[in-house]
Amino acid sequence: VKPRILVLGATGFIGKRVLEALWSSDWALPIAASRRRMKHAGADRPEAVQLDATDAGQLRRAMEGVSGVVNCVLGDSRTIVEGARALFSVAGGMPQPPRIVHFSSLAIYGEAAGDVDESAAPVGRLSAYGAAKFETERLAAANPSVVTLRPGIVYGPGGAQWSGRIAQLLYAHRLGDLGRGGDGYCNLVYIDDVAEAVLRALRLPNVESKAFNLSLPDPPTWNQYLGRYAAALGAVPVKRISQRRLRLESKLMAPPQKIAEILAGKLSPRLVARLPQPIPPSLVRLFQQEIRMKVGLAEQCLGLRWTPLEEGLSRTAAWYRPKVSSSVVANSLAPR
Amino acid sequence: MILDSHDLPDGHTLQAEVCIIGAGAAGIAMALDFVGTGIDVLMLEAGGRTEESDTQALYAGSVVDARMHSPPDRYRQRRLGGTTTIWGGRCMPFDAIDFEARDYVPHSGWPLAREALLPYYARANPLCEAGEFAYTAEEAFHRPTRPIIDGFSSGNFTADTLERFSCPTDFAARYGHKLEAAQNVRTLLHANVTHVQLNAAGRAVDHLIVRNLRGQRFTVRAANFVLATGGLEVARLLLASRDVQQQGIGNQHDVVGRYYMCHIAGTIGAIKIDRPPASVWHGYEISDEGIYCRRRFALRETVQRSLGIGNFVGRLHHPRISNPEHRNAVLSLLFLAQLIIPYEYRVRLAGAESTRLAEWLRHIRNVVLGSTDAAGFAWHMLRDRRLAERKFPTIIIHSKANLYSLDFHAEQQPNPSSRVGLSAEPDALGMPRISVDWRYTAGDVDTVSRAVALLAEDFRRQRIGTFDYDPDSVETEMTRYGAFGGHHIGTARMGADPRSSVVNADCRLHDVGNLFIASSATFPTSSQANPTLTVVAFALRLSAHLKSLMRPPQTRAAAAVEPLECA
Repeated sequence: VKPRILVLGATGFIGKRVLEALWSSDWALPIAASRRRMKHAGADRPEAVQLDATDAGQLRRAMEGVSGVVNCVLGDSRTIVEGARALFSVAGGMPQPPRIVHFSSLAIYGEAAGDVDESAAPVGRLSAYGAAKFETERLAAANPSVVTLRPGIVYGPGGAQWSGRIAQLLYAHRLGDLGRGGDGYCNLVYIDDVAEAVLRALRLPNVESKAFNLSLPDPPTWNQYLGRYAAALGAVPVKRISQRRLRLESKLMAPPQKIAEILAGKLSPRLVARLPQPIPPSLVRLFQQEIRMKVGLAEQCLGLRWTPLEEGLSRTAAWYRPKVSSSVVANSLAPR
Repeated sequence: MILDSHDLPDGHTLQAEVCIIGAGAAGIAMALDFVGTGIDVLMLEAGGRTEESDTQALYAGSVVDARMHSPPDRYRQRRLGGTTTIWGGRCMPFDAIDFEARDYVPHSGWPLAREALLPYYARANPLCEAGEFAYTAEEAFHRPTRPIIDGFSSGNFTADTLERFSCPTDFAARYGHKLEAAQNVRTLLHANVTHVQLNAAGRAVDHLIVRNLRGQRFTVRAANFVLATGGLEVARLLLASRDVQQQGIGNQHDVVGRYYMCHIAGTIGAIKIDRPPASVWHGYEISDEGIYCRRRFALRETVQRSLGIGNFVGRLHHPRISNPEHRNAVLSLLFLAQLIIPYEYRVRLAGAESTRLAEWLRHIRNVVLGSTDAAGFAWHMLRDRRLAERKFPTIIIHSKANLYSLDFHAEQQPNPSSRVGLSAEPDALGMPRISVDWRYTAGDVDTVSRAVALLAEDFRRQRIGTFDYDPDSVETEMTRYGAFGGHHIGTARMGADPRSSVVNADCRLHDVGNLFIASSATFPTSSQANPTLTVVAFALRLSAHLKSLMRPPQTRAAAAVEPLECA
């Protein structure tokens, strides 16, 4: 009998890919769990349960008989922390606690710079997201069956945040060569490598209670990433974005754009897609953060190998390009 | 971190493993390359974060013939970032032929070939924010680009090589935050090196004397010292430090300060192209990375060899601005705008002659009559140059009448009589000021004369159009504005023979074991190319050399391996 693996947050970018990877493996029987309604199980798709991951009762029922749980739940800080609290407490109460693969983040290192390995403490102020993830790791410490993954910037086909949004901003020439504003390292990790890390973290011995950074070992700077991604997309020539422009975008334009996005979200998701993406100050700070995650532990203990950047970017660009109207591409390529 | 000598106690001694003198293009490139290596680096910068008139005045000096050379405190900046704070950003590498010993160019030949620099050029290019190291149209563009003149094809010139443009990047503004954050690199502002103290045997630098304008004095000790100032200041410091080596450091054979080169540049002739205006493109193409690139007519190496002349490039250029006869509103606008353009850019724009009132009025008339064109141009310059971080590099004016001139930039031959020396007059810190005696040779006139004649002949033979110029005016035109400003080359040249050079191929003084030079001062010949990119490439080569000397690769590799525990 194949072990049953519950994937929480199975409709998100990472959850969906993890689910697919488990489904196509020959050893696992995945169960998709999400707040959203999903299609019922069939020959071509796994079993699905609709649940609120912060509700311990619902979780307990879903976790009956599972030998592994992958926690990819997205949401606000409260959802992240309460979801993790419920998960760890339910698992702790089970006679045979399942292996839990829990997603943390690069954000728990705060404003750290330089090379950071998994033992590094946070530096400076944590974002709300980083603080929530940090709290979940504290909660996880009490549960010996948890393996924590700390991915950097997860990119790849289907990634709205780091692939879709960035592509849109590159086509609009609102991002590009950021000069000194883009000297930070972009700790990229390709979505398939993240899914592979999950699969290995579910099965390998001696990885429990450990945390693993996930990133390309020699990450590009944000300027390099934006330049190469723009080239792969055909969003060229890359535009130099001045520091003045970045300040204007993040401080003046981003707040009303965010409000418009929230209001539009209440009306129609289609409308949201048509609005200009905000470039919030947190993103501008990230572009400058010269932090490089050390990934020797993931390579050694999980045996991970990384998808080369050019390969990942070309697959990502191939996914995004058809979404762009031909006039945008033509405009972008026209000599100026 | 960035410190200020004003905050140090008087008489303080600073120690480092490497001391870099000068935080300009070379110094900052090296300092950045040392970040994170664990090597303790101290970079001394004479100026502060902005231009300060009293500090800048330390650069003042005299010029033997004021028509031939700009005042020494022009075209160079004594401040963090050095002259990158005002440079034009034109990048191009030296050509292979520039490194060769050519019997028709006296004193030519480098102790290394261009290949030795290629890995460092590849890193220098992005550091200067000029994109990838791709200097032909074919390498740089994956799409067809416009030729300068449709159908022009010549055995004498190639129009396929490019010049690429930096933002132009001010190294202090661009990389200052990295210097601030660096743990192992200290940058000390207001640190004027006034003396290089050799040990008694004269074989090594013992320490530096550093002073500031508040009267404080410091000592700097290090294992290795790098003189990373511009070509004029290198000569000044070496010549002025003469207590142990009485001729000045490295100057036993009277080489320091000699062979001083700039470039030979000017604008000549009236070109009328007999093709539709759309078949002429003397402007820029933008590469996928967003870099402004421009083709030019480059004299082929085979032709240089067969004619025995120096390196040369030419570009189509607008007619001379100062003459209102061009009746072009944009050119007249530029002429009138000279009042608000910085000196370094004004000189070649406005012309050296004084302008009569009638001419001023005719320029105003041109602007009024062509006010739409003038307004369009003003908007382009505001949007694409003034407000842009990556600036539109130069003024490009397409002529509806297909009228142009030729703008040329040629190699100047090394000449021991062209020199930078010391004057008797001291500056505010007691350092002798420099005296510049720049001279060109008959060979330089010959290079320009014959290259221009070849191009005119190519135009005629291929029925491109007419290129009218007076062959007797070449020398006048190439010296109309004197030596090309800001390119200070050759004053501490590189070579294998200590009798005719100052540093070896590692940029180390022949007889001073721990003193290196990262500067255009070390270039034995000047090429057709602007020097900054090559300065940065040599700086990166030198920092790599110093790293391998101070931290051999095997010890670094051993330190990097850390066992990881999975069990």
